[in-house]
Amino acid sequence: MKLATYVARRIALFFPTIIGVMTITFVLLAALPVQDQLIARFGFPPRQDPCGYAKSCPCSVLDRNPKLTGTCNNPLFTRLTNKLHLNRPYEVQWAFYMENTFTFQWGTVSNNSEVAQTYAFSKGEPVSKFLGQMMPYTLELAILSLAIILLVAIPLGNLSAVNRNRPIDQASRVVSFSGFAIPPFLLGSLVVFGAFYLLLPHTGYLVTSPWCPTGEPLQNEIWKSWPSAGCYGNNVEVATLCPSWLSGCLLSHPTGFPTVDAVLHGYYWVAADTLLRMILPALVIAYGAIAGLLRFVRNSMLEVMNLDYVRTARAKGVPEREVVNRHAGRNSLNVTVTVLGLTFAFFLGGFPVIEDVFQLEGIGRALALAVIPGYFDFGVIFGSTILFTYLVVAANIIVDVLYAYLDPRVRLG
Amino acid sequence: MVDDSDVGAPTATAPVRRGRRPSPRIAQMKRTWYFLRRNTLAMIGLSVLVIIALVAMYAATTPISWLAMPFYCAANYGPDQTTSGWYNSSTHTDGPFNATSVASCHYICTYEVVPPPNAAHFCGGLWYKTPFILSGHNASTDCEQATYATCVSYPAVIAPTVNLATLNAGPMPLGSLATQIDSTGAFFNLYNGMLRGADWSLIISVSIVGIGASLGLLVGATAGFLGGAVDDALMRLVDIFLSIPVLLFVIVLIAVITTTIHAVAIPGFTILGHHFNQYILVDSTWTPLFTLILGFAAVWWPFYARLIRGQVLVVREQKYVEAARASGAGKARILFNHIIPNSVYPMFIQFSLDVGTIPLLIGGLVYLGFINLFPSAYFPEWGAISATSVLDIQSMLESCQVQCVVPWWQLFFPGLALFLYAVSVNLLSDGLRDALDPRLRR
Repeated sequence: MKLATYVARRIALFFPTIIGVMTITFVLLAALPVQDQLIARFGFPPRQDPCGYAKSCPCSVLDRNPKLTGTCNNPLFTRLTNKLHLNRPYEVQWAFYMENTFTFQWGTVSNNSEVAQTYAFSKGEPVSKFLGQMMPYTLELAILSLAIILLVAIPLGNLSAVNRNRPIDQASRVVSFSGFAIPPFLLGSLVVFGAFYLLLPHTGYLVTSPWCPTGEPLQNEIWKSWPSAGCYGNNVEVATLCPSWLSGCLLSHPTGFPTVDAVLHGYYWVAADTLLRMILPALVIAYGAIAGLLRFVRNSMLEVMNLDYVRTARAKGVPEREVVNRHAGRNSLNVTVTVLGLTFAFFLGGFPVIEDVFQLEGIGRALALAVIPGYFDFGVIFGSTILFTYLVVAANIIVDVLYAYLDPRVRLG
Repeated sequence: MVDDSDVGAPTATAPVRRGRRPSPRIAQMKRTWYFLRRNTLAMIGLSVLVIIALVAMYAATTPISWLAMPFYCAANYGPDQTTSGWYNSSTHTDGPFNATSVASCHYICTYEVVPPPNAAHFCGGLWYKTPFILSGHNASTDCEQATYATCVSYPAVIAPTVNLATLNAGPMPLGSLATQIDSTGAFFNLYNGMLRGADWSLIISVSIVGIGASLGLLVGATAGFLGGAVDDALMRLVDIFLSIPVLLFVIVLIAVITTTIHAVAIPGFTILGHHFNQYILVDSTWTPLFTLILGFAAVWWPFYARLIRGQVLVVREQKYVEAARASGAGKARILFNHIIPNSVYPMFIQFSLDVGTIPLLIGGLVYLGFINLFPSAYFPEWGAISATSVLDIQSMLESCQVQCVVPWWQLFFPGLALFLYAVSVNLLSDGLRDALDPRLRR
């Protein structure tokens, strides 16, 4: 099969997979009480609570349900449920849900959830817009983590493959397993506690960031003021000091990437501070992800090192370093590239725990705020699920195609 | 193919002894064990796991408090458990500790002697380094002002570490590992919690991965064996489930179930004169735990399905399967007697790997605020305990106004247990991979 046909076939598989996952999501959404479905879709509950958690609902919407029959007497509720097609059969609801999924109408940020409390600008906004606004923060963190992973995992994996079963191999194995074994919330918190201990004694309660010309304190609660946007973040007192390009201390213009925008506007200290604050969380993320990648790099390198052409290269007198780096190393990267692609897709889904621990902004933090028990923001929860599914499915396709391109021996089919 | 490292290894082609020929499956196990035994790291992992399993068995058979009961007063530090004479618990006004009357268990701590200067104090939900008690039998004024009038002081067994300006890592209260784990002032017996944690961590992770693996085995083996349209359909299903983000799906499932379950009107019923009202099913203490296990299992099986299918595709082309078919064996017999037993080995590796990650994921969920996953916030699962401790220390550092002692021990021990468990599981599975895959053995 030609590569073009293969690409077309893989892309054609995108839609069935998305529809399949979205059907599962739809079942879960439809299982929710009507009240919550309405909030997830429109961001606010109807004036009165005609259906909510009641045992019986006086709305024609629910006529299909023998337990919940009656007539609807709330005009707003009727309007909303009609708009959501809740009074139609489930298959029709499903069809409209699919349409909404593909047209980025993923619901609305709830009016009174923790997300809306934290990010005032998101109140009543479409979830896809809100997630798009948070994406640059997560993207910056993901790129930084990926850079660290690349810098560490590939050389270390090659090294341990070359020195197979020697102490350095065993050591890297133990290090990578410990990455699997420490949960990110624990490692992240230990890092924050460590920073707390190291920074606190020097100035007593208030620690001043050397990168803040205004001398804004980091405060004694470090995770309360560990924002990615320099000294600003979501700290209420400091929020008034935000420059005009950083509206609401969160949304930067024009690119949306806070570091890039800070440099564009000449706020170099904000850019430096933002990067500095992302280094520790990126290290924690990388530590967890290196564990998986190291194994792939090592195994694929081991396989390549046993191939005939490597032996030929050695036999004709190519220096060992050249053999490892150029002959074997290049070819062993095929598998690594695919694994890295999937890792990056998972990264883009956000880091709920890490962003929560380090108080960074991003999609993960929004999700962490949306899942506080009792204050669920179903719009954000379901919206993140859709986004994440898109990312993973797209990354799978890209990675497959990339692999077929990199390794022509792969049987396309 | 003869290999140097294989010399001395028991092989399936060993000279046939008298009597029945040993089963090839037993021979395979012996080979695996032979190579596993030579892997130092794997053996270290295996021994740690055996120790954890023994602890779990001890915890399961010992009548210590079933749920590592939180207790709201310090009376458990009775005279026999006190490490030093300067704190005399016999002056309690409330009498012996009674777990059932926790609400009424308030007392004001009194001291016979002025405590030593480096003692750590627990008061009103916080650890302090400064002593509250000035002298003699006087009640602490700080304690009276605290919401929970509980105050315990621990003698400084170990000299405190370098005094950092406001916070001190402080000494751990030895003698009894009972510690405060919640800034509301609830106590949690860390020692009991650790023992019970061995139990529950194993049970939860093995049941989640067990359900997922059996389902995956069934689906994968069916797809690989039958092939054709069935294979295509099942593999599309697997693709769909593989695209679901695991943690997010569990979160969505739990959020939906906990929200929906109260809106569903389940009629009450009566059995043998006992009336069960409509909430008895939905508000059962175990419902959240079952939801958690089922939620994880629902997204765990596709990995196994794909793994097993790939293996079955290889095995079904083998000569012995052909021989079985030629001798007239039925489809079911071939699948269950010949194909599945020969394709499950890679599953063991994946199984042991996954079992190690479950407590970590649960810890992450608890950290994100899903504490009500469990029958109680004090549910003794290592991941849950360490996540609760992290949250507790965070809130403590935020609210610390005077000198505070960080209860590092309540984070250290569950974290260490979690770490040892996951590392040893990983080492063992890596050793298994090396022992089962002859290509890697060279």
